Amino acid sequence: MAGFILKRLLQAVFVVLAVTLIVSFAIRLSGDPAIMLMGGGNVTEQDLQNIRQALGLERPFFVQYLDFLEGMITGDFGKSFMGGTPVSMLIANALPATLLLAFTSLIVSIVLSVPLGVYAAVNRGRWPDQMIRILSLVGLSFPNFWLAIMMVLLFSIVLGLLPPSGMEGPESFVMPALTMAIILTATNVRLVRTSMLETLSQQYIMVARSKGLRDRVVLYKHALRNSAIPLVTYIGLQFGGLIGGIVIIERVFNWPGMGTLAFDAISNRDYPVLQGTITVLALFIVLINLLVDIAYGLIDPRIRTE
Amino acid sequence: MKFSATIKALGLTAAVALAPMTASGAQAAGTLTTAVAIDPGSWDPIDTFLVDWSSAANNIFDGLTARGADMKLKPGLATSWEFLDNNSRIRFKLRQNVKFHNGEPFNAEAVKFTFDRLLGEEGRKGPQQSNYNSIDHVEVVDDSTVDFVMKQPDPVLLTKLAGYGGMIVPPKYIQEKGDAYFNMNPVGTGPFKFAEYTPKVSLTLEAFPEHWGGAPKLDKVVTRFISEANTQVAELQAGRIDVATLIPFGLAPTVEKSPNLSLISITGPTVVALRLNTKEGITKDVNVRKALIMGIDRDAIIKAVLLGHAKPIASFQSDLSFGYDPSMKPLPFDLAKAKQMLQQAKVPAGAPVRIDFRGNDATFREVAQAAAGFLQALGLKPSLQPHEPPVLLNDIIPNGKTGEAWHNAWGGWTFDYDNTAYLMYHSGEKWNPYDNDPKLNALLEKQRTMYDVKEREKVLQEIARYVADQALEIPLYNQNTLYGVNKRVKNFDAPSDRRFRFTETTVE
Repeated sequence: MAGFILKRLLQAVFVVLAVTLIVSFAIRLSGDPAIMLMGGGNVTEQDLQNIRQALGLERPFFVQYLDFLEGMITGDFGKSFMGGTPVSMLIANALPATLLLAFTSLIVSIVLSVPLGVYAAVNRGRWPDQMIRILSLVGLSFPNFWLAIMMVLLFSIVLGLLPPSGMEGPESFVMPALTMAIILTATNVRLVRTSMLETLSQQYIMVARSKGLRDRVVLYKHALRNSAIPLVTYIGLQFGGLIGGIVIIERVFNWPGMGTLAFDAISNRDYPVLQGTITVLALFIVLINLLVDIAYGLIDPRIRTE
Repeated sequence: MKFSATIKALGLTAAVALAPMTASGAQAAGTLTTAVAIDPGSWDPIDTFLVDWSSAANNIFDGLTARGADMKLKPGLATSWEFLDNNSRIRFKLRQNVKFHNGEPFNAEAVKFTFDRLLGEEGRKGPQQSNYNSIDHVEVVDDSTVDFVMKQPDPVLLTKLAGYGGMIVPPKYIQEKGDAYFNMNPVGTGPFKFAEYTPKVSLTLEAFPEHWGGAPKLDKVVTRFISEANTQVAELQAGRIDVATLIPFGLAPTVEKSPNLSLISITGPTVVALRLNTKEGITKDVNVRKALIMGIDRDAIIKAVLLGHAKPIASFQSDLSFGYDPSMKPLPFDLAKAKQMLQQAKVPAGAPVRIDFRGNDATFREVAQAAAGFLQALGLKPSLQPHEPPVLLNDIIPNGKTGEAWHNAWGGWTFDYDNTAYLMYHSGEKWNPYDNDPKLNALLEKQRTMYDVKEREKVLQEIARYVADQALEIPLYNQNTLYGVNKRVKNFDAPSDRRFRFTETTVE
């Protein structure tokens, strides 16, 4: 296991290097931050030079990139071009907000999709199954921002129950987490159902049943444990997409997380902030995938020995 | 609340840990909450050009001069001023017994420190220095008198001193705490003092009762950063913000119809035009350019796309701008005449007219589509070319790679036509890729050396008329500034440039 983790860690370092290199390079193709900072006013070439010098932008790309890597190792991601706030401070504020939202959505989605998926599999072909499948298709077809706006309209404007935006306590979590969770649940339900169906057709389930074990024990002790493997894998993979989806959700709900930070950084050509957020997110996704691999071993002892 | 049980059931209790991050929650009496789109990231006056900075920080700082919501210039920290030595020196008499929020006295030294800093090393790193380059240095005469020694005449300087980089900062505080600390913990002499700042979330200000203009009537002003217009409107409807600054024209009726809200729609600084390529294409001919102006029904566009929240313009400025000439009228919409003029100019049917515009501007996209419709009716072949804004602004326009027409929207916080006209029409300027007109250049340069207000206004008006006569652009409209305001807000003096000053405002 130790060798395996080491190998995955080395892979992670490579992924993070590749991601930061691509991001740093790509964003520099997209426009001059000096001009974004100066606005449209009475700007002379000398002013632009001054700004570029102050921001260290006149140095060759690779020098800037190496400088960024050096800072990264010490946890110093530089300062935002917009006002000079340290990037590490911005990330320290934003990362917990995003992770809390991501994990809440994931948990809500698992809480919803596992029982629904099992129920659909058990009732295969009958109306509860049909219903769950149709609902999941409806969930898949919603663009998440549309769903978000509709929720705000209903729960904040019409009913006045929940705050439309911001992160100000437990109520603030309901709409953004639910929006993400609905999208996730739509796919997860299908996954649980298929996986469950496959497991239920296995011989050992029949053996368990013929031993006279109660349905509940067969379903939740034997079948679910074995169907969990694809679900865990999928949730790990889903995490990257989840973070991507959160960018949009964060914007609609003005959630003070990494998505909002990255979005603003892109529109302001704020290189240090964008590099910092993407690096941290990449590190995170890599870490989650590592945890998924370890989780495999815990769920299925056969994988541990391989 | 019946939802709390559901929330716990969903396993969201972890969120309670975040409760201390609460920005405003329920509004206490005397707290006004506004929303702006962007967190400027620093509250130091020399670090930014963003209007959103001013929307909040105009309450923290004072300039030597000030401007009311009516955009008229009035005394600020200076009570009077006079021009000396053939206009190369401006002498300011300073207000006495003024204190910064930290107790430090305001005096001539503070003014000198402010401008030494702005024009020196620290100012070089920010975007504000170039606005004040006409100042050579500031001299202290006595404790309540300073002289600005000018490098070159700058008729707009007094206006510039009312905002942004010209805001007066406390010398001792900055020297002791450093610039980075000042960014996040600003101190000024304004009616509200800094209380709390959470980057990307909100800025909270508290009343400063010892302000020289009298104590403000609100306890607190909270500025929240919300970049999505729909979200601002939702927060406004939910009664959680009192003033929204980001109201797209399409959402104006929603705000208007809400029983607890009012929509304020007033003349704003932003003007929009289709500038024309005077070097190549059919728009090289001045008569064709005039035909295009007459062929587009700008009133119809204002009514249909902007829902009436704009005014037609004859020159590239609003009626708030110094240099505006009320007697100038736009060329009238006259399709038949326009067609005839195109025929006379021997423009072939189906001649191309490409419009380059900023792709992120949803309102203008509709305006461009409407304009293209009118051009088609003239027998031309219009096409629309959206661009990423930085590409359009830094490459396509300055390098003269536009089609026959291109989108230009311009604000200009100084409300002086020079700020627009010089940058738009003087040869060699970034915004002028096509024209090189010695007569126009001479006029533009001449007004920059003039201190006689009346004379200078005449020259500016002459420039506007000359530009209209040459038909360098299709003037479209002057966009209104829209605010959504909760009805509990009283005495809100809506400024057309969004630079709030909540001295007299109250909430119920």
